[in-house]
Amino acid sequence: MTACIVGIGETRYAKWGGIKDATEHELALDAIVAAVADAGLEIDDVDGLSSFADDRNGAIFLAAELGLPELKVALMSWLPGGGGACASVANAAMAIESGQADVVVAYRSLCQGQFHRFGQGPGAAGQAQPGLRRAHSLLEDQLGFTMPFGMLNPPIAYAMVLQRHMYLYGTTSEQMGNVAVRTREYARANPRAVMGAAPMTLEDHQDSRMVAEPFHLYDCCLETDGACAVVVTSSQRAADTPVTPVRVLAAAQGSPHRFGHGQYVNVNVDDDLYASGGSRAVAQRLWAKAGLAPGDVDAAMIYDHFTGLVLLHAEDFGFCGRGEGGPWFAETTLPINTHGGSLSEAYIHGLNHVVEAVRQIRGTSTSQVRDCETVLVTSAAGVPASALVLAST
Amino acid sequence: MSESPFPETMPSPWVSAHTLPWWQAAAEHRLVVQTCRECGATRHPPAPRCWSCRAPAHEWTELPGTGAVYTFTVVHKSFIPGLEVPHVVAAVELDASGNARLVTNIVGCAPSDVTIGMRVAVTWDDIAPDLSLPRFVPA
Repeated sequence: MTACIVGIGETRYAKWGGIKDATEHELALDAIVAAVADAGLEIDDVDGLSSFADDRNGAIFLAAELGLPELKVALMSWLPGGGGACASVANAAMAIESGQADVVVAYRSLCQGQFHRFGQGPGAAGQAQPGLRRAHSLLEDQLGFTMPFGMLNPPIAYAMVLQRHMYLYGTTSEQMGNVAVRTREYARANPRAVMGAAPMTLEDHQDSRMVAEPFHLYDCCLETDGACAVVVTSSQRAADTPVTPVRVLAAAQGSPHRFGHGQYVNVNVDDDLYASGGSRAVAQRLWAKAGLAPGDVDAAMIYDHFTGLVLLHAEDFGFCGRGEGGPWFAETTLPINTHGGSLSEAYIHGLNHVVEAVRQIRGTSTSQVRDCETVLVTSAAGVPASALVLAST
Repeated sequence: MSESPFPETMPSPWVSAHTLPWWQAAAEHRLVVQTCRECGATRHPPAPRCWSCRAPAHEWTELPGTGAVYTFTVVHKSFIPGLEVPHVVAAVELDASGNARLVTNIVGCAPSDVTIGMRVAVTWDDIAPDLSLPRFVPA
């Protein structure tokens, strides 16, 4: 691939409901403007926008508000969920490599405090009395088989996945706790991280209240307010910018057999896939395209809506064998989620993981990996998964 | 089920033309699975075409109402007013269903007694005239 990332932009990140003086909509524009400025480009250079997770801030409206001369591509990776974070960059790269656009900004703005709280489930809202009601989407039709029984939200759904992983492979709560603790250590060095001021020990993790077994509170990602954006352009155009371009070396996205919205909604995914991150096929294509093996990357930014899913992704992406994620994470020296991830920096649905990967290759991370040239980024579980390998040029 | 931890304010099912027959059977306390008339593959949730042979023709196969716990979680945080904790949310693999799994609840035992592989049987919870939910008790 020849597409490059030349700009990154972030707003401030705050705990859920912490941003009251700016709308989510405004933050989307702020992140885009910041990313374009970071690239040394002008807003007038932008001719494409790309997002995921049904971002509320539609590209056609943002393009009008920004006064883009023309919006040539408006790209969306389907369905709510963070599986499309890397896909938003991959789709931007596709548009550029096929000649449909020159400068595409991938963005995600997510201020749950200004809307509903995703992790809480729907509550009793919108229901006068119990009884069947009409579905307004395929997703709602499927949620009809989960929500009435109390599978209300992602923590409950993915707790069931990890419970089976523990049953099959002997994974432990402490092994998941290792993810929370190490991620928090990185956040401590990162002034943007929402949880940067709060240290965490494995004992703290074990003592945090139980949400849905096996998930303690500290197994669950944050719910935050904020936005970020990434500017993608061709390598030719990148050469004209003042920044050091980061190459999109490989990208892959996909959804396995009968996966649908994955385990978040669907307990009928294939038995072979249920206790997984749903990314094995994506990983195989990604490594083949990159011409690399898992041992070749200098760092990894792994989607971490829950600690346990980092272990499942380590398995899917071939860092260890199936069922070995827990022991592997305890031993590995690979730098993972050096910004603090969704667990401790912010929950911008994993697009902040792409931003951190760019910083690592530029050499500007708050937990900089020495000679960092190649970084894996993953987005997934429960939705079409996606992943990138980013590399220095 | 007087001991139910689930209040009336639990979200009710959303339904479409494709899923309504399943819920209508449930209201009659019949646990069914959608079965392809062409190839016999089962599917859940219900869908317009068979995922295996892509044929639309189907029938509703009544199941014995027994199964085994495929996975579960004991929920300790109440996300809805009146929803009592701890309670169990589970996926039950239904007998004679072609391995269809149902999201449901295990009731009638202590949450700490639930295990993966545990045998269970259906019990119906009547919520509204058109709505009965299949929950499961230890078999």
